[in-house]
Amino acid sequence: MADAEGRRSQLLRGVLDICLLAVMGEGPAYGYEMTKRLRARGLSIVGEGSIYPLLGRLERDGLVETRRAASNGGPPRKYYSLSPEGERVLEEGKTEWQATRDAVDGALGLVKAEVMP
Amino acid sequence: MSEFVEECRREWRRLGVPDPIANEMAADLTADIEEAEAEGGSAEDVLGNSVFDPRRFAASWAGARGVTAPVLALPDRPPLRRTVPVIALTAVAVFFALAAIALLIGRRSASAAVSVRAMLGNPGPSRLFGPGGVSPVFRTFRIGPQFGGPTGWPFALLAVLIPFAALVALGLAALYWSRWSPWSRRGSQGTARGPGRTWWSRGSSR
Repeated sequence: MADAEGRRSQLLRGVLDICLLAVMGEGPAYGYEMTKRLRARGLSIVGEGSIYPLLGRLERDGLVETRRAASNGGPPRKYYSLSPEGERVLEEGKTEWQATRDAVDGALGLVKAEVMP
Repeated sequence: MSEFVEECRREWRRLGVPDPIANEMAADLTADIEEAEAEGGSAEDVLGNSVFDPRRFAASWAGARGVTAPVLALPDRPPLRRTVPVIALTAVAVFFALAAIALLIGRRSASAAVSVRAMLGNPGPSRLFGPGGVSPVFRTFRIGPQFGGPTGWPFALLAVLIPFAALVALGLAALYWSRWSPWSRRGSQGTARGPGRTWWSRGSSR
C-alpha cells in the first residue's frame, strides 16, 4: 500500500505544476482556493506536500502573474493567474502528458497498439 | 497566528528573508489556514504533510521564490571530506614534530653526558679541540657509538627524516588553512542558497 502511495506521489509530483496552471486557467485564485479546485477534480495534496513552494517557483519563472485583492469578506489575498508564458507552458504540458500517458498505456497493455503490416 | 506560522517566520528570519516578503507569506498562510478551519478542515488540508515540518516547508517556499539571503550571511563550514584529511595531516605533523623534539632532546642529553665523561676521563684542550676531538656544538649532532643510545645509520636516517617529515606535514597543514590553499573554496561571493535567481539580483518588483 505504501508503495502504491509512493508511486502516486511520484507521478503527481511530475505534473502538479501543469495541474496548477490548469486550475489557474479557470480564473485567478489564491493558494487554498487552488487546493480546493484540485481536490474537486480528485487530486488531493495530502501526502504530496504543499503547493506554496510550487507556486513560488511558477512565480519566479514568470509563468504566473500575481496581485493582491480582498477576498470574500476576508483579508487581502494573493491571487495567481496565468501569464502568457504560463499559457504556453500549459499547452506544452498538456501535449507532453497526453503523449506520455498514451505511451505508458501502450506499455501496460491498456490499449491495443495498432501494428502496421 | 498559529504556532506553525510562527515557526515559519523564525525560519525565514534565520534565512534572511526580507521582512515585507516574510510578512506577505505569513499573511497568506494564515488566511488560508483560517479559511480551512472555518470550513471544518485543518491546516493539513492546506499544507498536506508539510504541516509536520514547518521549518522545511518555510525553507522550501522561500528557496522556490528565491528570497533567501546570500551564503555570505551564513558562512559555510568546510565539508567533512575536506576537514577529515586536514585534521589527519595536522595530527601527523604534530606527531612528527614531537618525535623530532624528543629526538633532539635525547641526543643532547646523551651528548652532554658523554662530553662530561670524556672531559673528566681525559681533561685538557687537546681532547676537546685537538686532533680527533669534536666541538661540543657538533658533538650534539654527531652519530656514533661513543655517544651512547641508539646508534648506526638507521638512527641517522631517522634523525634526518623525522624532522623533515614534521616540516613537510606542518607546511601542508598550514597551506591548507591559508587563503592561498588550492583546496580552499573560491568565489563564494554572490551565490544563492536557494535555486535560481535571488531577490537582490533581480531588480524587479517583488
